[in-house]
Amino acid sequence: MYYLGVDVGSVSTDLALIDKDMNLIDSLYLRTKGRPINAIQEGLKLLKDKNSNMEIAAAGTTGSGRHIASTIIGADIIKNEITAHAVAALEIDRDVKTILEIGGQDSKIIILRNGVVTDFAMNTVCAAGTGSFLDRQAERLEIPIEEFGDYALKANTSVRIAGRCAVFAESDMIHKQQLGYNDSEIIRGLCEAMVRNYLNNVGKGKEIVPKVFFQGGVAANKGIKAAFENALGFEVIVPKNHGMMGAIGAAIIARDAVAKTGRTKFKGFDLTDSKLVSTSFECDGCSNKCEVVRINENENIIGYLGDRCGKWSNKIAI
Amino acid sequence: MKVTFPHMGNIYIAAKALMDGLGVEYVIPPFTNKAALEIGSLHSPEEICLPFKIMIGNYMQAIEQGADTVILTGSCGPCRFGEYCEMQMNLMKRLGHNLDFIVLDVPLDIGAKELLNRIGKVSGASTKTKAQKLKAAVDAFKVMHLIDDIEAKARFLTGYEATKGAFKRLLNSCKAEAMNCKTPEEMLKLLYDYRSRLDKVKTDKNKKPIKIAIIGEIYTIIEPFSNLYIEDKLMDYGVSTKKTLTPSWWYKNLVLSPLKLNQLEIKRKARDYLPLGIGGHARECIGEAVLAHDEGFDGAIQIFPMGCMPEIVSKAILPKISREKDFPIMTLVVDEMTGEAGYVTRIEAFVDLLERRKNNVLSGC
Repeated sequence: MYYLGVDVGSVSTDLALIDKDMNLIDSLYLRTKGRPINAIQEGLKLLKDKNSNMEIAAAGTTGSGRHIASTIIGADIIKNEITAHAVAALEIDRDVKTILEIGGQDSKIIILRNGVVTDFAMNTVCAAGTGSFLDRQAERLEIPIEEFGDYALKANTSVRIAGRCAVFAESDMIHKQQLGYNDSEIIRGLCEAMVRNYLNNVGKGKEIVPKVFFQGGVAANKGIKAAFENALGFEVIVPKNHGMMGAIGAAIIARDAVAKTGRTKFKGFDLTDSKLVSTSFECDGCSNKCEVVRINENENIIGYLGDRCGKWSNKIAI
Repeated sequence: MKVTFPHMGNIYIAAKALMDGLGVEYVIPPFTNKAALEIGSLHSPEEICLPFKIMIGNYMQAIEQGADTVILTGSCGPCRFGEYCEMQMNLMKRLGHNLDFIVLDVPLDIGAKELLNRIGKVSGASTKTKAQKLKAAVDAFKVMHLIDDIEAKARFLTGYEATKGAFKRLLNSCKAEAMNCKTPEEMLKLLYDYRSRLDKVKTDKNKKPIKIAIIGEIYTIIEPFSNLYIEDKLMDYGVSTKKTLTPSWWYKNLVLSPLKLNQLEIKRKARDYLPLGIGGHARECIGEAVLAHDEGFDGAIQIFPMGCMPEIVSKAILPKISREKDFPIMTLVVDEMTGEAGYVTRIEAFVDLLERRKNNVLSGC
């Protein structure tokens, strides 16, 4: 009996498989590449090939693509990523008080007290404090993103780089490069700029007290972790499966949901062989002109997304 | 003369009643949609706030249907809304549209004579008698109050409904049917009927729903398109909501303000945090947050358009209220973005937060 969690994010699609004792049996990290349907299908196929004869007792989806993911796999719960991350962290440690989460396109802070989320914030219109920004800069410096953190730790001093805006940070960085600073100093400066931006922007007005968990894809970056510890003045814990926390959280919530309802809505792994096609059209039922997406599995329509009134997706109340 | 007006929540229903009563030709712009926003942002100054852009979109779409006169409320208040009418007149002229703007403002700012003069422009186009005109105005105010009342009640009772979606369905059909009414009398009858029907919807009084107060900038909390239909979404989640700022509240506030008798309670509640009016509805926002806490609400959501000065001030004060009263408040800033993913995540997570808090407190008992 396994529980499946699917986290469809902007950059990556993560699948986590946990058993009833909350052990992570298998996990997959795939690039979404803007095609969530393909990523989900591919992920399920890989899971099936690796673990034969497994039985899924519950499935949950999270991430910005959680609705489309749910339509495809038949999820028991569709949960926002803030709750999913909090649930996964609390499963590891009931005493966690702050979660710093930095993903591909967004960053969040979650404040917990006594095992309950009391406050949270997400980055607003700017992406300067997110993984995409680091990705872009790593590319520019021609350093693999995996080694980015190690470079930062090598530096003795750091260069101050403006972190307010990704575009200006880049020009500031180029300017500092021209002055002759070496790569590791620049990278450490970047990490510190990003942390500064995060704390001033997302973490503004929030009381950050230990234990602090650092989750999301960016948590793999040792340079950022060090910069956080520097800025906050205490230890920041990176959980072992930091990149999978959203998917794990979704699996846990799904398990609890199925415990109440008794049976799962999960469609099974057969859909890996199906042909999934999405087509979109503009509904002309009213002046809203919603762009509706229709998802077909082979010949059958399995769901509609994007209509506000519920005319197509059969949500409640028209 | 063919009159039009910008959308703002349910105002179009009252406007229809008024114009039908007066017998003046009018155009109701298509409900605010993406096209209106696109047209509006194309022509508006880049850094102006969202309501301005949407309103321009409304005008342009109304012009396509033959509108030549815009009725707009003015304000000499200390926020950018005070400049809207002048800027919009200039903008529309520059775009080559010969629109007549009728800006209604308080007598304190433009003088009673000028106000009557401006009202005369609209009522002059009507062939009805004075008594009929007066009746049309009274009926329109009644309609405004009724529809605001119905909406408030439906949204608040949603949390208690026995059948999911019952109130939303009733509210939506009420609005749709109101638009099919031919005369103000017919509409009033319909609205009275719907109001009593609300009481007959089966509710479960033992339910303890999540209750959220919607506070913030008046336009963005009233015009559903601008806040990506937050109240409808919360209705789907079975959350009870309340918002104090409505068109009928606004009117009452306007009439009472010269006597300084307006919204005494909100002012009193806001006193500890923001004792002065600083423009827009910042003080109201603060007062409502405190009021919502005192009334036993679980949390509040503040909404404002990007760059809204008064609300930025209240946003900075809200965390203090939140801390001192142990009352969760979330702020949402709306702009031209129509991608809902991040927005829905925040709303869902906020509802989750309130739910878990509530359950936790109960389990501690």
